[in-house]
Amino acid sequence: MSEEKKIIEQFTSSEYKEGFVTDVEQVFVPKGLNEEIIRTISALKEEPEWLLEFRLEAFRAWQQMEEPRWGHLDLPDIDYQDIIYYAAPKKDKDRPKEIDPKLSETFDKLGIPLNERDVLAGVVAVDAVFDSVSVTTTFRKTLEEKGIIFCSFSEAVKQHPDLVRKYLASVVPVRDNFFAALNSAVFTDGSFCYIPKGVRCPMELSSYFRINARGTGQFERTLIVADEGSYVSYMEGCTAPMRDEHQLHAAVVEIVVEKDADVKYSTVQNWYPGDSEGRGGILNLVTKRGICKGSGSHLSWTQVETGSAITWKYPSTILKGDFSSSEFYSVAVTNNRQQADTGTKMIHIGRGTKSRIVSKGISAGYSQNSYRGLVRMGKGADGARNFSQCDSLLIGKNCGAHTFPDIQSYNPRATVEHEATTSKISDDQLFYCQQRGIGQEDAVGLIVNGYAREVLARLPMEFAVEARKLLQVSLEGSVG
Amino acid sequence: MEKHVVKAGQTLVLEYFILPGESRDIEVEVELAGPGAALELRGLYLCSSTEKVSIRTLVRHSVPFCRSSQLIKGIAGGKADVSFDGLIVVAPGADGTEALQENHNIVLTDTANVRTKPQLEIYADDVKCSHGATVGRLGDEELFYMRSRGIPEADARELQILSFLAPVIPSGRREELEEAVRKTVNGSRQDSL
Repeated sequence: MSEEKKIIEQFTSSEYKEGFVTDVEQVFVPKGLNEEIIRTISALKEEPEWLLEFRLEAFRAWQQMEEPRWGHLDLPDIDYQDIIYYAAPKKDKDRPKEIDPKLSETFDKLGIPLNERDVLAGVVAVDAVFDSVSVTTTFRKTLEEKGIIFCSFSEAVKQHPDLVRKYLASVVPVRDNFFAALNSAVFTDGSFCYIPKGVRCPMELSSYFRINARGTGQFERTLIVADEGSYVSYMEGCTAPMRDEHQLHAAVVEIVVEKDADVKYSTVQNWYPGDSEGRGGILNLVTKRGICKGSGSHLSWTQVETGSAITWKYPSTILKGDFSSSEFYSVAVTNNRQQADTGTKMIHIGRGTKSRIVSKGISAGYSQNSYRGLVRMGKGADGARNFSQCDSLLIGKNCGAHTFPDIQSYNPRATVEHEATTSKISDDQLFYCQQRGIGQEDAVGLIVNGYAREVLARLPMEFAVEARKLLQVSLEGSVG
Repeated sequence: MEKHVVKAGQTLVLEYFILPGESRDIEVEVELAGPGAALELRGLYLCSSTEKVSIRTLVRHSVPFCRSSQLIKGIAGGKADVSFDGLIVVAPGADGTEALQENHNIVLTDTANVRTKPQLEIYADDVKCSHGATVGRLGDEELFYMRSRGIPEADARELQILSFLAPVIPSGRREELEEAVRKTVNGSRQDSL
């Protein structure tokens, strides 16, 4: 037992290496939320009238709504008037075109290169978001040649207002839920991406979100539109400094997949999880949804969730086009006092639609990890098919793993299968490894990686390497 | 609501058998309160018209070394509305728990609805818990296999349904069930014509 304690102590003292703060001059709007603040944000971003109206309408809707409390989470009370809704690094007037070296340094430290020459030839294009604004978007030129638009959301509003207006809130309506309404009212920046007809995006596109300022929340909005027959692989990463206060992150991601298009969306979420006693950490309350609009379209979600004090996130797909398909692959790791309530929704509307859900939850320490999923077969979903598999792995005596699937079938020609198991790392497996000279920690890493392999294999290469390391670090010393 | 407490070493067997024409709202809570306590719950429903069947189970594993198994299978035809909402809660420290929960459904008609929520809440680590749920239809290939061997369609469907339900048929009620299945198959065939 003392060994166990020692190992647990070791872990809790292990470091969140992205926890540093960048010291840069920032512009804030005052604390609190009211129509005046929204007008200020809109003015700061030089937005057109219609967008301000959109925000105000969302704000009024939000005031009528209630915070959802149905998650298997112990959500702390959030004082929405005690949050700064806009924070941006000050622009240097002498060098308006260049990136502040300090910001560049920050992203370098995080391993996100903002200078194109530093990147291996044409691997990843990055949109880096620092608090409320996008710092830079790389490889714009290369992408423009193909007709691909990849820029910050604010820029898209200015340069491609028609596209933004057409698709904004078309997948996640303003009134969809409490946090989506809040985001619609105060969203600050995010990425916009449009892939034209028949274009295969030549590189991975990526957004990197960084929360830096104290007392702020991050409310980014991402909109991805893949036109007929196009392909794109999109990755998202995020980190935040270590603080003993909770910080709110309420994002909205919308994805529109037209006929025969293929979108792959990957997330490695590594927000600050709070300390071992559950102080601080990010409240990650996000709405992500895609629609397979045209026939034969395909959307694939892959997520590795290791961070955040609280995660409330259900990347979902509406399978509207006939014979469209979607996948959801997830690994969610919780340790210490972290809580995660995550899963997916697959709404089958079109004929012959197919979906597959593979969710692997790993809980350690005093954490609670829940899978919550909905599979719905609509009246018209003839021949539709779903397969779900949700496994939970428990490490230690004090954690919890829960599964809340919901299956609704309104069509006799649709097939739904769900299976789930819950177990712990077996002593036999550990013994086998240790007997062969593999230390306990490494053995757990090995077993967990094997357990999550099916999901990790879906990640783009650069991400997969990072995710594997994250898994190892997140679970360090959690064996008892 | 039914509530049962199972003491150490005891085994509780619960059987639910719901035939066409019967709407039922079952809500049952079982607590496994002593080591070695066990629950075996079997449920069967066969719906062919406008029945509403709702089954809600809550199984609490409060102490170590208890076993529970829930197997609920059913057929939804006509305009039936069927829902299953099951929850297994394994309390902290209830090591050595083995819990199984399965709900399988076959839908016969466009107008029948099935909703199923097999849920697990687990607070102990040395457990073996699994659940599964399916909603599907009678397999065309099996039907073809039988028909190509000269078995009439109605008989083949009956056989398919009976074999699907076989694991949950209470002893001594097989004939009753066969009769009901025959009626259901004929009924649903007329609907589709």
